[in-house]
Amino acid sequence: MTDRGVIVGAGMIPMGRHRSSSYPGLAVPAVLAALKSAGLEPGDVQSVTCGHAFGGMLTGQRIVKDVGIGGVPVMNVDNACSGGASALHLASREVEEGRADVVLAIGVDKLTQFGGGTLPLVEEDPEVRVGMVMPALYAMRAERFLFERAETPDLLARVSVKARRHGAANPFAQYQKEVTAEDVLNSRPIAGPLTLLQCCPTGDGAAAVVVVSEARRRAMGASGAAIRASVLHSGKATTGFRDMLTPEITVHSAAEAFAAAGMAPSDMDVVELHDAFSIAELVYYEALGLCGPGEAARLLRDGVTGYGGSVVVNPSGGLLAKGHPVGASGVAQAVEVYWHLTGQAGARQVGGARRALTHVTGGGISGMDHGACTVHVLEAVS
Amino acid sequence: MSGELQPFADLEGAGHRSFRVEGGSTCIVGSRSAGSGVTCYPARTVCPETGARDMQPAEFGPHAVLYSFATVHVSVTRDVPYTIGYIDFPSGLRTLAHVRRQGDDLACDMPVVLKSDATSWWVEPERSRT
Repeated sequence: MTDRGVIVGAGMIPMGRHRSSSYPGLAVPAVLAALKSAGLEPGDVQSVTCGHAFGGMLTGQRIVKDVGIGGVPVMNVDNACSGGASALHLASREVEEGRADVVLAIGVDKLTQFGGGTLPLVEEDPEVRVGMVMPALYAMRAERFLFERAETPDLLARVSVKARRHGAANPFAQYQKEVTAEDVLNSRPIAGPLTLLQCCPTGDGAAAVVVVSEARRRAMGASGAAIRASVLHSGKATTGFRDMLTPEITVHSAAEAFAAAGMAPSDMDVVELHDAFSIAELVYYEALGLCGPGEAARLLRDGVTGYGGSVVVNPSGGLLAKGHPVGASGVAQAVEVYWHLTGQAGARQVGGARRALTHVTGGGISGMDHGACTVHVLEAVS
Repeated sequence: MSGELQPFADLEGAGHRSFRVEGGSTCIVGSRSAGSGVTCYPARTVCPETGARDMQPAEFGPHAVLYSFATVHVSVTRDVPYTIGYIDFPSGLRTLAHVRRQGDDLACDMPVVLKSDATSWWVEPERSRT
């Protein structure tokens, strides 16, 4: 079996509004926690990858220099919201291609630097110049979903209610208070059918994982989460029609990941997917293959994706409750599933979790579903 | 040095504001690849399918279909609320447009028509065709 690396240590800080923290201030505690949980020292790290969207130049170096890591490759990657997951992808490749057997992957971002509001997109993009913002993109998906499926906004609210219920058990979540469907629907409008509680919050955060080779893991005698697939795709642009309910970038990434892992969607016990807005979870149920086309609403209503269901989706609370400091999210997802696969998830532990998937997309670019999509499939090893 | 090595001045010109009015009807002015037939709006220099420098001016409109839409209530750079939507043309082109609405008068797959004033264009429901 191809050795794509094993996560043997993970750490993150509580997501929230940490205005008084710098990028290193956010990330160093997560890095130290990850190294400690792996039982490794900074000097053991042979390569570093760092995902972020708004950290500026040399973000990774600014972080690791403060913990005594230096003289090793540090790769910084921006893939918008998929930056952290892209850093994990690069870490996996470092191991798979034999360049290192101890790699530190970091995800970090600080959105409070913008003072609130929607995520700043690239102003030179033609659609951004017309007024595109991320809530509008997802709101158009939601409008189309409700139209084609003859559904009502109540269904969208159910996603947020589930996310908040899960987040209430997660001490790392930005929001740890449950809400009702009425709370969701009565919160202030943001875009189209999406209200405030259907949108991920503005926040700051950092997460880190230690990825080692299987040989190194065996030598350490550690349990961990083996990376069975690590897939990174860019979107395929078109100036023509696109089915907004079938995002090709996620469909293709997931199919490729399951093929590489030799697993099926039905094998997953835990999924952390990119629920930046309520509608996204419904669309991605189908795109990831957790259900067939047209079955997303049933999956949610039947409780299949909550605790007690066959696959727990976003046990962390997802981006809606845990928070979404964009470049941090992909690594934070990996931290969450590592905890579940190694029995360290505390009150929100998914019992008997053996296999998990993480999924994060990146960015709004005209003509594309998204600019990036990263899917990882992980399996418990000991 | 070849002129083809000069950078595109794609931040200048009309861009997403390029339109033409004739006989009271508004059409937007984009481009079409002579080789692949791919259509674009705003106009481009290079075909996004083949990479060929074979884009020629092409007009689209005045009739389109509203694929989906959203009224935006939060912005740090624009007055809110405003409404945008993806509009589909019979040629196969989709582009993002400003949408002028009156109350809850919008729906997916609704026929829309291009309108304009001296400086900008938008779409609104095409009452006579609904």
